[in-house]
Amino acid sequence: MDVARLKENFARVAMHGDDVALFFYSDLFLRHPETRDMFPVSMAAQRDHLLGALARIVADVENLPELTDFLQELGRDHRKFGTVADHYEPVGASLLATLAHFSGADWSDELAADWTAAYGLVAQVMIEAAEADEKLNPACWDATVLSVQMRSFDVAVFKVATLQRLDYLPGQSVAISSELRPRVWRFYSMANAPRDNGTLEFHVRVIDGGTLSMALARSLVPGARLRLGPPVGTLVYDSWSGRDVLLVAGSTGLAPVKAIAEQISGLPAPPRTTLFFGARDAGGLYDLQDLEKMSAAAPWLTVVPCVSDDADYAGERGTLPDVVARLGVWAGHDVYIAGPSQLAVATTALLERLGVPRDRIHVEDFGWSEP
Amino acid sequence: MTVTSSTSRRLTPDAVQAVTFPSVRLGRRGFDEEHVRAFCDQVEAELVRLLNEKTALDEEVQRLRRRVLGIASEEDGAGYRREDAHIQAVRILSKAQQTADNYVADAQDYSRQLAQDARRHRDEILAEARSHAAVMLEEAHSEASQAAAAAMSEPPAQPPADRTELEGELAYLRTFCDVYRTHLRAYLDALLRNVEEWERAEKSSIATARAKLPIHRQLP
Repeated sequence: MDVARLKENFARVAMHGDDVALFFYSDLFLRHPETRDMFPVSMAAQRDHLLGALARIVADVENLPELTDFLQELGRDHRKFGTVADHYEPVGASLLATLAHFSGADWSDELAADWTAAYGLVAQVMIEAAEADEKLNPACWDATVLSVQMRSFDVAVFKVATLQRLDYLPGQSVAISSELRPRVWRFYSMANAPRDNGTLEFHVRVIDGGTLSMALARSLVPGARLRLGPPVGTLVYDSWSGRDVLLVAGSTGLAPVKAIAEQISGLPAPPRTTLFFGARDAGGLYDLQDLEKMSAAAPWLTVVPCVSDDADYAGERGTLPDVVARLGVWAGHDVYIAGPSQLAVATTALLERLGVPRDRIHVEDFGWSEP
Repeated sequence: MTVTSSTSRRLTPDAVQAVTFPSVRLGRRGFDEEHVRAFCDQVEAELVRLLNEKTALDEEVQRLRRRVLGIASEEDGAGYRREDAHIQAVRILSKAQQTADNYVADAQDYSRQLAQDARRHRDEILAEARSHAAVMLEEAHSEASQAAAAAMSEPPAQPPADRTELEGELAYLRTFCDVYRTHLRAYLDALLRNVEEWERAEKSSIATARAKLPIHRQLP
């Protein structure tokens, strides 16, 4: 396999941008119409995913350990979409047809052989990872909605019970899909540590024009069915460090952070923990009552609500990084941050300046899929 | 300006998308970054379009060349035609998909605008309510102070000093209460009317939007 030739060919094909993915899916759906039902109505985001994943695979083709991790994750992740081993061959055929089409006169038997071999390896790693996962976990978890509460103008909190046990670490998230918006998946963090009765809580902020968030917040009723993908995410608590803990949550970034706080409360000797919860206005502090109840029962926990855009607010005012910087010395803490990415970036930069080593700052990370 | 291309020296759409410009030092003149970005987007789209046109033309050339050279056998000819038909079908399906994508994007844009309007409306109502409450308090205060002052200044028959003071206080509180309650009632009434009006407007606008948007009928 001539890796340099593959890379060069891909770079040339990729210049055609969105048209490449458009051609690929049209070719696939024409040859195998039954696969169309696995995708949402609008394919724009899907095409970006495909091109992103292809570019990543081609770029990392010489870095095998990392590429293998990525492909195994991708293979497992595709189970929730209903992907099975039989789907890989048609996809390979359409991929080859697409590459041939956009290579034009550059296409050759050698290139075709190289691409076939490369795709074969990719498919094999993905299929094997999916099959190994099949022995341990269902493809996705069916869940029933128990309750839905609109907590503020644009935040809803809902509770679900899964039919099968869903094991996860506090701070992790799952992809959710609802019959209200078929085959659209979005990631949400569990807002509680695992419970004996297996119920899960989620916090949804309505994104203006958001496909799934609006449906979940406005149209979900008790009894509704949801599908949950496998738990993912690296924002997990390191209970062995022994250091004090700083938790920073912006808006519904509170969900994973609250799950971690609950986990800490279950430890025999909880470390001193400070939780900053920030929103634009007082109405955005949608879960403050619960947090205050939590801290009243836990001498090790301090909760600091703060508000950035409301001059009349009686408590701490300012953006989260500002308030965090103003109220403490954090160099010796383990830090967990979740919220809008702008906030995560600003807070991380600030804490590094204040002397917190980068490897002790944990930020919510949804991996390659969109949050 | 840094332009890097992994493939060749030629300018690629990727390179246009990834180009970065160092920012000018404070006090010096420079181009508006947004304008430069917008222009780059335009250049990128144009490059992609040209590339795709070139591919389509290359294909056409190949097809014509085959025709001119004469098709080797009947079987091959059928093969070419089948291949052409498939490419045509791919093109048509791609167009249909893009149309669907645009409809969904339009609907999303529309709902984003509605939601943003509602949010702005809500912020305005809240701000107005706050300033109204402040004015009401102020008014009640001043009216009650006047009433208290009046009560104190009335010459009572042999009242002890603290009794006068208490009566003054009482008059203040009573008036404050009255004024505040009246204002509050009027204000709440207005607010309720406002909410009802808003609900009616929302219902009718959703109904007209449904009627206008073809997407609700065409897409599942």
